[in-house]
Amino acid sequence: MSETPLISLVDVTKTYHLESGDFTALDHVSLDIMENDFVAIMGPSGSGKSTMMNQLGILDVPTTGNLYIDGRDVAKMTKLERTHLRRDTIGYIFQKFYLIPLLSAYENVEYPLILKNKTRDMTGRASAMLDAVGIDKEKSIHRPNQLSGGQQQRVAIARALVNDPKILLCDEPTGNLDRKTGYQIMDILCNLQREGKTVILVTHDPKIAEYAQRTIRLDDGRIVES
Amino acid sequence: MIGDIFFQLSVRSVRLNFLRSILASIGIVIGVVAISTMGMLGTNMQLQVKDQLSSSANTIVITADAIRMGPPGSSPSSSSTETGIKKTQLNKIKAVVGANGSVIPLYSTSTQFTSGNVPARGTIYGMDPDDVTKFLNVGNGTNIASINEALVGYTLAESLGVTIGDKIKISSASEGPPSNSSSASRATVKIVGIIDARGTVADSVSTDNGIVVSKEWYVAQYGGKDVYDQVNVIVDDTDQIAEIEEAIDAKLNTDEKTPAVRISDASSQLDTISSTLETLTMFVLAIGGISLLVAAVSIFNVMMMSVNERVQEIGILLSIGTETGEVRKMFVYEAVILGILGAGIGGVMSLVIGYSVVDAMMGTTEFFFLPDSLLYIPEGMLVGVVVCVLSGLYPAWRASNMDPIDALRSE
Repeated sequence: MSETPLISLVDVTKTYHLESGDFTALDHVSLDIMENDFVAIMGPSGSGKSTMMNQLGILDVPTTGNLYIDGRDVAKMTKLERTHLRRDTIGYIFQKFYLIPLLSAYENVEYPLILKNKTRDMTGRASAMLDAVGIDKEKSIHRPNQLSGGQQQRVAIARALVNDPKILLCDEPTGNLDRKTGYQIMDILCNLQREGKTVILVTHDPKIAEYAQRTIRLDDGRIVES
Repeated sequence: MIGDIFFQLSVRSVRLNFLRSILASIGIVIGVVAISTMGMLGTNMQLQVKDQLSSSANTIVITADAIRMGPPGSSPSSSSTETGIKKTQLNKIKAVVGANGSVIPLYSTSTQFTSGNVPARGTIYGMDPDDVTKFLNVGNGTNIASINEALVGYTLAESLGVTIGDKIKISSASEGPPSNSSSASRATVKIVGIIDARGTVADSVSTDNGIVVSKEWYVAQYGGKDVYDQVNVIVDDTDQIAEIEEAIDAKLNTDEKTPAVRISDASSQLDTISSTLETLTMFVLAIGGISLLVAAVSIFNVMMMSVNERVQEIGILLSIGTETGEVRKMFVYEAVILGILGAGIGGVMSLVIGYSVVDAMMGTTEFFFLPDSLLYIPEGMLVGVVVCVLSGLYPAWRASNMDPIDALRSE
């Protein structure tokens, strides 16, 4: 395990300029996440969880402070470099799955490989990932709207993993699933963490948060427990 | 491109909204058909005129400047006055041309013909029978051999209902109305040959509705000996036309302010007609262009709808590492598909509609399949696709520059 944190937030503040006035979603947050950590981020609505996830997913940059991912200062990167870092280092799993509706399950998983290699996958990696999350060949040709919630989330996990990212960002991954399926998904995430991935999970559910090794609580944009 | 995942996404998006896409493409279809058909019609007209004039492309027409005020055959060319090409001028022309071509002096006037009780009006040309075969084609019968023989034009022969061996009465008063012509002033000629149809010609000898007689008969009937209404020079090598024209001009038009003769050839006439037709073609093409402008708005609208409906999908694409250029490419592909769809249908329809329009307007499709004419179809199709792509650029740019966080939040 590396001594330097995989993710490091140093005095990060994120302020949104709204018509009603400035709103600080993250307020001087500092946090280190080491490689192979399993971190749960909890907090009430409006506490800054989503803003924190957007920062960690490099979808947004801090207003002030520094965010380092894999040793690189995100603020100093170009938009294209951030896109490539997101593509190669981070796997995103969303509450609403967010599969591409016009692509089949297989194509959804193949898509990040195409982004990275600029060609269709000939290695069979996309099929292997689908197999690993329990989606068989027959299901893999279906469009997302022809799959159940649990199957869609499995496809989303396969998509997040296909480029072998170091970090898995999971935004309420069980929020749209029944309890049993939710636990199955959490088992998959635990296995992935055991295999070396760094898993960061946002959840409202304390039972789901129990899977994590470390829980960070946010309130009003500040870390109240780490 | 076919295997490109972004192209696949675009194809599926068009397929998902097929009716809307087809409706938007109809604008492009109409635009492509409009500009292709109008372009082909204009070109076919130009090609027809060019073809008709090219038969006399090697001919220089020299007329006395004072009498070239009206169209050929209808000018007040009474030979009894001293207006016309005089013998001295003719000799100068012959000296300039030398062995480089043939010099054909012609008398002509507009007059009344009668066969039986059928009257007709047309032009009578007087020339040396030896010159006839140099530029006229006597398809039926023989050339003039004696003074009372004549050749009749194809159209006039039909309208008078005459054939070889028949006789035609010709009024000696060139401009007088038929009632003023006494039977005594009417000379008779015997038809020995019928001249093939010539159509539009650049040498100002429109024999289709006329008669050709020997110069002796003409002078005996109308006077004006050695004062010709026009002199045609048939040049052996068309490349020499300009050179010979310049030489004749230098020799005859010594006074620049009041030139003695007017010199013209097929190319100058062709330039004038082509220029007019080109202006006309550009005008109708511009009207066709308006329909493409309307189509562009329609495509723009459909593309914006597509972007707005797929905001969340764009958010997903951007959040999982799709480059902005790749998102842009996806929407440009969609515009290209709509363009190819519209241009493809438009191209096929242009062929059918263009053929029908050219046939209906011109009565011939002789020139329709020539490259100059057919080229308007791929050109029209290309313009259609380009219009589509241009219409899709802003929607594509807008899609690629969305904030992925806002895009993901949209429902």
